[in-house]
Amino acid sequence: MTKDGKPDWLNNLLWSITLSGGEDHIHCHSHSPTISPNVVFEPIIQPLVLVPPPATASSPQSTMTSPKSKSRDQVDKNNDDNSNDNDQNASSSDGSPDDISRKFSKKVVNLWELWQNASQGIPEGARIRSTVWKLLLGYPPPNHMQWSYELAKKRSEYKQFKEELLMNPTEMARKLEKSAVRDNDHSEYESSGLLSRSQGWWYFKDSEIIEQIDQDVKHTHPDMNFFSGNSQLAKSNRDALKDILIVFSKLNPGIRYVQGMNEILAPLFYVFRNDPDEEMALLSGFRDPFYKQLDNISVGIHAIITRLSQFLKEHDQELWRHLEITTKVHPQFYAFRWITLLLTQEFNFAHSLHIWDTLLSDPEGPPV
Amino acid sequence: MAHRVDHEYEYLFKIVLIGDSGVGKSNILSRYTRNEFCLESKSTIGVEFATRTLQVEGKAVKAQIWDTAGQERYRAITSAYYRGAVGAILVYDITKRQTFDNVQRWLRELRNHADSNIVLMMAGNKSDLNHLRAVSEQDGQALAEKEGLSFLETSALDATNIQKAFQTILTEVYHIVSKKALAAQEAKANASIPGQGTTINVAETSGNTKKGCCST
Repeated sequence: MTKDGKPDWLNNLLWSITLSGGEDHIHCHSHSPTISPNVVFEPIIQPLVLVPPPATASSPQSTMTSPKSKSRDQVDKNNDDNSNDNDQNASSSDGSPDDISRKFSKKVVNLWELWQNASQGIPEGARIRSTVWKLLLGYPPPNHMQWSYELAKKRSEYKQFKEELLMNPTEMARKLEKSAVRDNDHSEYESSGLLSRSQGWWYFKDSEIIEQIDQDVKHTHPDMNFFSGNSQLAKSNRDALKDILIVFSKLNPGIRYVQGMNEILAPLFYVFRNDPDEEMALLSGFRDPFYKQLDNISVGIHAIITRLSQFLKEHDQELWRHLEITTKVHPQFYAFRWITLLLTQEFNFAHSLHIWDTLLSDPEGPPV
Repeated sequence: MAHRVDHEYEYLFKIVLIGDSGVGKSNILSRYTRNEFCLESKSTIGVEFATRTLQVEGKAVKAQIWDTAGQERYRAITSAYYRGAVGAILVYDITKRQTFDNVQRWLRELRNHADSNIVLMMAGNKSDLNHLRAVSEQDGQALAEKEGLSFLETSALDATNIQKAFQTILTEVYHIVSKKALAAQEAKANASIPGQGTTINVAETSGNTKKGCCST
């Protein structure tokens, strides 16, 4: 344990790099959550071994072999302010600060231990939480060497999605007209699959969804300056949330947008507060509970609610009996929101982040 | 009568609030039950409810008011929402035409899921935003008449007609329920099936059976 109360493993340089290059400047927020971390972290004694998280479980065992970590360097305490430097270090594929890159490339993370440690709550320091969450969510590929490549790829994908999907109808109509002139039978847009449906319907549906998203984004944490108000920061954050949700809704036509996604996105966005491509990719992991056709399957909302009820019955039969038998207060009345929003509306934002540390650290993934 | 001992009310009526998202259902609820209004409220996910006890024709009536997410996607999941509801307030936003046009959709939804005897009221909310009005009061009135609903324009923000809306619907429900209770008393031990749209057989025999209505 180091003098600032952080365990050694958290002082590893690994945590000081960001996964994103962030040309999109989302400024560090001044009022970061203040939670007194009463969580005690035990330093990891064993060498770290990288095990892919569940989401990327295709290569089950460690891909990193060099076990002993060379660097136990102190993370710059002001690393928040150094994000750009770090970003450059992390994402430059030419390996400009070769040294650091090499160290990271040898770094081997045992995700099981990460889960264990993170599940008790991650000490404040957004940089750490952001990286840990990303790892827990299986976002970066196991191999550190691929991070910058993957990131660049995802970023360019997202940029492309934004260009194609966030185009306003007038622009789109103009393009369509042009392409119709070029080719009356098959416009290039139709062949790209983006506008293959009846366009009138598509626009109409779009505007309804976009309006809904707009309305909900405005109501996202109205008590936080980060999301709410007329500051430049809040505006750009809201725009980013909106873009992410709109792109997601268009990429997932079976789910589209469901109220509450904004609440799920908010903590991720707040913690990463970098380029939106990250949140978009991450949000895809959360889509199941919002997908109607899945409501009745084993991971669907009904099954989760039933599990909760059984769980309650096991642990507190008296309460269970009172709720379900005597008063008929079924869990869908009180727990539906707990589950779909992963408790984000039940606690204040800072506490939610801590709860998410634990939720995301469940090796079986978050409950949804 | 023993089962009434614990209650400080004689009737418990479940009322649901429905209508598109953003029309102000949650604020109508909070205005009525807590006298609160929050301009920056979060969208409702799942269901929420609150209660308020009031006097209707000398009887203590506890109104249990349910509020739910307006987005259609949540309907299927919250199907239990309508179960046991004796009244529904269908809310639209007078500044958003679309929410008024969707009233038909909500009526269909009610016909499919709610008890056929449910008492309906339509509320054109946000009447304080008269300068942004997109639905005239006459249009609201006309639709209400056509569909046989009672109608009021309300404002959760300045509290206009919120009390009145609930008082109106609860009184109407009370009339129906007390009539039914009477009928049920009169119907012999003709074990009626509690459930949706049960027709009560009004046989003119006077038994002294206990009234079997809402108070649990």
